[in-house]
Amino acid sequence: MSSIEVNELSIKFRIYHDSSPSLKESFASFFRRKNKSSGYADFLAVNNVSLKINAGDRVGIIGHNGAGKSTLLKALCRVYEPSEGKITVDGRIAPLLEIGAGFHPEFTGRENIYLNGAILGYPKSELASIEQEVVQFAELEEFIDTPVKYYSTGMYMRLAFSLATAVHADILILDEIFAGGDAGFVDKARKRMHEMIDRANIMIMVSHDHELVKSLCNRIIWMDHGRVIGDGDPEVVIAEYLASRGCS
Amino acid sequence: MIISQEMTFFKRFKRCLSEVSGSREVLRQLVTQHLVLRYRRTTLGYFWTLINPLVMMSIMAVVFSTLFQQDLKTFTVFLFAGMIPWNFFNATVTQSAGSFINNESLIKKIYLPKALFPISLSVALLIDSALSFVALLIIIVLLGASFSWAMLFIPVAYILLYFFTLGAGLIMSVATVFFRDLQHVILIVMQALFFLTPIFYRPESLAGKAQWLMAFNPVVPFIDLFRSPLLNGTLPDANTLMLATGFSIGVFSLGLFVFLWQEKNIVFRL
Repeated sequence: MSSIEVNELSIKFRIYHDSSPSLKESFASFFRRKNKSSGYADFLAVNNVSLKINAGDRVGIIGHNGAGKSTLLKALCRVYEPSEGKITVDGRIAPLLEIGAGFHPEFTGRENIYLNGAILGYPKSELASIEQEVVQFAELEEFIDTPVKYYSTGMYMRLAFSLATAVHADILILDEIFAGGDAGFVDKARKRMHEMIDRANIMIMVSHDHELVKSLCNRIIWMDHGRVIGDGDPEVVIAEYLASRGCS
Repeated sequence: MIISQEMTFFKRFKRCLSEVSGSREVLRQLVTQHLVLRYRRTTLGYFWTLINPLVMMSIMAVVFSTLFQQDLKTFTVFLFAGMIPWNFFNATVTQSAGSFINNESLIKKIYLPKALFPISLSVALLIDSALSFVALLIIIVLLGASFSWAMLFIPVAYILLYFFTLGAGLIMSVATVFFRDLQHVILIVMQALFFLTPIFYRPESLAGKAQWLMAFNPVVPFIDLFRSPLLNGTLPDANTLMLATGFSIGVFSLGLFVFLWQEKNIVFRL
């Protein structure tokens, strides 16, 4: 059984007022010690968040732009290491945040399946067995040995999507549901996405589409300025969120 | 799996080691990427890695042996035995400066053990260097120079050079993320270091005022490591070997320390 536990997590970004400090300035401030505050300000994108996500949870994260939703997801995927607190993850995570990250434009579609597959952590033996299926699903049989820099956006998205969703994962992490390509592919992709969500042990997604979130999730987390404001039943939390937006 | 800030240094080291060995397939892919991409759509393809040093070294040998009025055969071996370790060191250190910066889009989107980037770069350049070495062997044969048993020492020389270079590369790759100017500074520093290293001149010729500078140049013993077996057919002397081993272990440990210390901050500063 998979689970995710987040304890008092904070992710701190440093915002530099002018530019990043030069070697000279760093040396100078290192020796001076005082007057540290001058060049930058700290900004907590995620501020003291604690969560427990259990097997079977379908979590939707909502909130306005810059509320820390994506940063939280990236922390779960280990892109950002906690500035404070800790994250305990049990199960294999499929990070579907940015599909197609790690595609190399000069490589052919087939080479990119192996490159990106390795980056996603698929074992080589598994890649060999899913290669055919990925190509078929992406409808790229003709172009699979062409460098991806000659692909259209739709072709690129199709390949990336097919590969990212080819292997089953315990924990699914999504940043908006994506599907590029023509209408036929979008339908097919949506169906596959839903299948994947059904099979996953835990699903966490960020979305601004409240209807979609309501239909897919059984728990909603509302974030604002890096903090968790609401957590619970989709109908209730979304209603609260919409109400708060209405008054302000 | 637990991710948190409170990790001891030893734990970080162990995690880094197990993650890198767990991502051998990604490492292999990144190395291939370095090696293959340069020669996409070229007719001779990867042969360029062999042809390029062969031609470059031949030109330099002819030019400098004429300039310094030296015997072509001895001077060629002398020059190349110095150029090969230098080129590997130089290329790795200067290119490491971009190893995180150039992979920003990947690092910010998906988790990969970050050590993979400088390691893959150094491995790819090591393979290139091994090919230049093959080019040198071809030249030695063509010139009719002799081989000696001491040349069996070359793999050991490569191992020592590799860890020394990887250490320096790790330091550069991390430091450049924080101080971007280093990308340009390092080019100048390496140019100066090149002239301070006895590559196209004999160590004796840098006499007088500048001699003491060479004592602080950590690259010097590594040049000797290659030159003794190739040029003189002898093993490097114990002093050189000790210095090289010391620098190798020292610089590699320092590089590892700097990397593990700042690894988690890299993504925030890209």
